[in-house]
Amino acid sequence: MNVKFLNPFTEAVQMVLEAECGLSVQRGPLTMQKSSMTGEEVTVLINIVGQVEGTVLYGMSVKTALNLVSRVMGQEFLVFDDLARSGVAELGNVISGQATIKLSQSGYESQISPPTMIEGKDVEISTLDFQRIDVPMTTEAGDIIVHLGIREGHAAV
Amino acid sequence: MNVKLLNPFIEATYEIIKLEAGYEMQRGQLDLENDPYLTDDLTVIISLVGAVEGNVMYSMSTQTALVLVTRMMGQSMGVMDPMVQSGIAELGNVMAGRAGIKLAQRGYETNISPPTLLVGKGAAIYTLDISRVVVPLFSNDIALKIHLALRTSTRRDTGALDLEGPSVPRQP
Repeated sequence: MNVKFLNPFTEAVQMVLEAECGLSVQRGPLTMQKSSMTGEEVTVLINIVGQVEGTVLYGMSVKTALNLVSRVMGQEFLVFDDLARSGVAELGNVISGQATIKLSQSGYESQISPPTMIEGKDVEISTLDFQRIDVPMTTEAGDIIVHLGIREGHAAV
Repeated sequence: MNVKLLNPFIEATYEIIKLEAGYEMQRGQLDLENDPYLTDDLTVIISLVGAVEGNVMYSMSTQTALVLVTRMMGQSMGVMDPMVQSGIAELGNVMAGRAGIKLAQRGYETNISPPTLLVGKGAAIYTLDISRVVVPLFSNDIALKIHLALRTSTRRDTGALDLEGPSVPRQP
């Protein structure tokens, strides 16, 4: 996977979490993964289609998810219910959308799918022949791991 | 969810499994589900973007996966391994692709995403504000389900420009 596809996503995470949650985000060392990953407690999955294609997954603990949603909504969430779920998915949606804007500015047009939530540690998630780069993003509210299995695509969107 | 969107997927699955594995699938009762989907042994997730958007998931037991891949490859697969996983993901990809063509023929231009595979039972999958229709299909010694969480799109083609922020205003 080309690094030029990576930065739009990490920058989008930083931008959106700062704007929506008032958080500053540090990017940790990225690792390249060939095998499948095990799900975190909460994983938002968004697929990308177009001149960039593949899957982006945002993984975090329930605690982090609740912290983030509490900040976005301006009220404390103690239980990971459907409203909280919807809030986290929307964060993933907005982040990914911002990333596609940046990609578009670099000449790569793409579209994102609606988000899917996967809850359950220990489920194995495989992006198959899409090599994955994992980037830990740390914040005061907890850590998010951005898993990127994307590459140049050929669909016209 | 519009019933018009279902048939292309049911037909595509029937046609592809018949072609690739020689089974004629029968359909069980359709169910609309609001609770999360609890994963079976193997689940392929594929998204759609375009005039129809959302997700299709194909789920099955290890047993069905092994039987299908054995039939498709023409050699006995006895154990769940990356090759079987890849075979099932590809099957999902072909079925969804075929469904996409049928949708296009009916006036819904869509593109499908690459497949993601979930291995392991018991994870909860939420399709959030898109309700899910589950279609069980079976034949002889195999059984699988198609989960369809689809809607006709309200987005323009250049989805990148259609950002929706959280709809609840934040306290200043």
